[in-house]
Amino acid sequence: MKTWFISIPCYVIMSLLAGGPAAGMEMRSTLDLETRIQLQDSDHTEQYEHHYAIGLETGFNHSVNNGDTIFTFVPFARWDSEDDEREHFDIRELNINHASGDWETLVGIGKVFWGVVESNHLVNIINQTDFLEGVDGEDKLGQPMLRLSRSFDQSVLTAFILPGFRERQFLSVGTPGALPFRVNNNPVYQSGSGDDHTDYAIRYSGYHELIDYGVSWFNGTSRDPGFIFSGTGELIPYYPQINQLGIDIQITSDAWLWKLEALRRNFNSNSQVPVDDFTAWVGGFEYSIYGMASGLFDLGLLAEYHHDSRGNRQSVPFQNDLFTGLRFGFNDTESSQILFGGLVDLDDDSVNFRLEANRRIFTDARISLEAQGGSNVDPGNIGFSLKDSDFVLLSLELYF
Amino acid sequence: MNFNKSSLIGPIVSTVLVVMLVSTSSSFAQSAEEKGLEIVTAADRRDSGWKHLTSEMEMILRNRAGKESRRRMTSRQLEVEGDGDKSLSLFKEPRDVSGTAMLTFSHGLDPDDQWLYLPAIKRVKRISSKNKSGPFMGSEFAFEDIGSPEIEKFSYRYLGEEACGEGYQCHVVERIPKYENSGYTRQVAWFDKEHYRNIKVEYYDRKNSLMKTLDTFGFNEYAGGYWRADRFEMVNHLTGKSTTLLWTGHDFETPMDEKDFSQNALKRLK
Repeated sequence: MKTWFISIPCYVIMSLLAGGPAAGMEMRSTLDLETRIQLQDSDHTEQYEHHYAIGLETGFNHSVNNGDTIFTFVPFARWDSEDDEREHFDIRELNINHASGDWETLVGIGKVFWGVVESNHLVNIINQTDFLEGVDGEDKLGQPMLRLSRSFDQSVLTAFILPGFRERQFLSVGTPGALPFRVNNNPVYQSGSGDDHTDYAIRYSGYHELIDYGVSWFNGTSRDPGFIFSGTGELIPYYPQINQLGIDIQITSDAWLWKLEALRRNFNSNSQVPVDDFTAWVGGFEYSIYGMASGLFDLGLLAEYHHDSRGNRQSVPFQNDLFTGLRFGFNDTESSQILFGGLVDLDDDSVNFRLEANRRIFTDARISLEAQGGSNVDPGNIGFSLKDSDFVLLSLELYF
Repeated sequence: MNFNKSSLIGPIVSTVLVVMLVSTSSSFAQSAEEKGLEIVTAADRRDSGWKHLTSEMEMILRNRAGKESRRRMTSRQLEVEGDGDKSLSLFKEPRDVSGTAMLTFSHGLDPDDQWLYLPAIKRVKRISSKNKSGPFMGSEFAFEDIGSPEIEKFSYRYLGEEACGEGYQCHVVERIPKYENSGYTRQVAWFDKEHYRNIKVEYYDRKNSLMKTLDTFGFNEYAGGYWRADRFEMVNHLTGKSTTLLWTGHDFETPMDEKDFSQNALKRLK
């Protein structure tokens, strides 16, 4: 990959600068060591597979003009003992951000988050999801962009020009979370300019009293590919052109957070794969009970209902599904947390569980446990192809 | 109309007498509530007009066995006329929460508006501000102990005068929270008679037993006559745990306005 040749010298130079002449440069790194145990139980034998992996993300920040101008560089790399496809390198961020009065401009590779819901990130479309890192959709590939924001009293209008597209990466068959088919590395694009197509987006967001809101519009290459079956049994990703309108709303009242995200996605005609315009929404709440067990922990109760007008449980993961979860936030000095949740498909009762627990150890490290599994997964559900993907992941994150 | 001199003079004289009587009786018998309010109003007046403040804060948490853990953060505050202050806290250590930031618009008796910024995924999340009595970063300071000290948040009663702190003569005022979700039935606060600085606070829990004591040390005067302590010691008598806050780098000069306390500003902090 070309980016290696540019980024490794960059990394070395920035590290040296941070240690020496560039006063005001901040450097922050996270090194994670993980081992994943795959619990397979379908192919007649009970078998455990181990993976080991190492990830390193370093953030370099340099602020000038009293913090109004900020240079940011965030390279990331992953090594994996088993899956070559999972080994990857990415520039998460490499940009200059300048704020001046009501205006703010960012030029370069950046990362953006939109939305309010916990169990899926429906309207968050600017960055491609890095599925090599996890299935929760919260790891993102860096996106080249020109971003211009205008602030008002209690709201912000932001326009994006997005030159260039990041294609989705896929795990090798057999790795937990992977599709059961080999995916071709040469995707097909609806746009004649392929991955050079320039996308556009606008977002207006703000708050008024108890309400936080956002309205967004996106025009360009879909981040979610469709698939074409090739003659050789491979899947070829196909990226159509879309127009997408999204809204997200949160109402924060007392200990209740009420949440709604919705989108309408329209496809361009003459797509090579059959596509239907669709509407999808997710709505729910998070309710917190503070100071349980004499202040030992705070308990959060979560419920989120997902709907998708395509309605096909074979191809759409959140078409008629209910997520419920419990979040334990302990008031200890180690900031221990546990999140346990389940997603039930209301059409066929397939269930997916997920557990996340972590706590601080030593001074600047965290240890975390993640577990995921399916139960009663119906052969007609999209989750069936992942039914051998039950796993437990243990990781140690070092911050320095 | 037929004006009669004596009938006119009579009411005037009696009115004057009544006014004199009322005013003298009130100055002689000012209630404990009025005196308490007078003290905190004087303290509030002396600490008004600072406009904006940036500070560095280090927190040392000690458990019953004396084991220590540390927190470090940058704090920014903006004084808001006619409403509660705005504040921005940027966490630096422990390093796993480095870059996490919290924006608070306090509103006196009404619930505060509060947003949390999670830098790893660049998410700004509006959070509930109901958790007033919960611990701030696992310390012995509750969220309500570090909030903007608006007068209307408590009712007051003057308890008397006594020596306190590092050789001060102090007014002692009891304050009872009027806002919802407080963890306290009452607090007792000591203000020194010379500069009306808050020298000490005792916190009484919901069962009205003494729960925590806060002592402040090392007052410095900054331009404009504003006093700030550089060390706060909070001791929890029920758990044996304690927390020390060390303040450095108080900067009242660097200008800041509403734009520096927005969601966009939250994302810009490094």
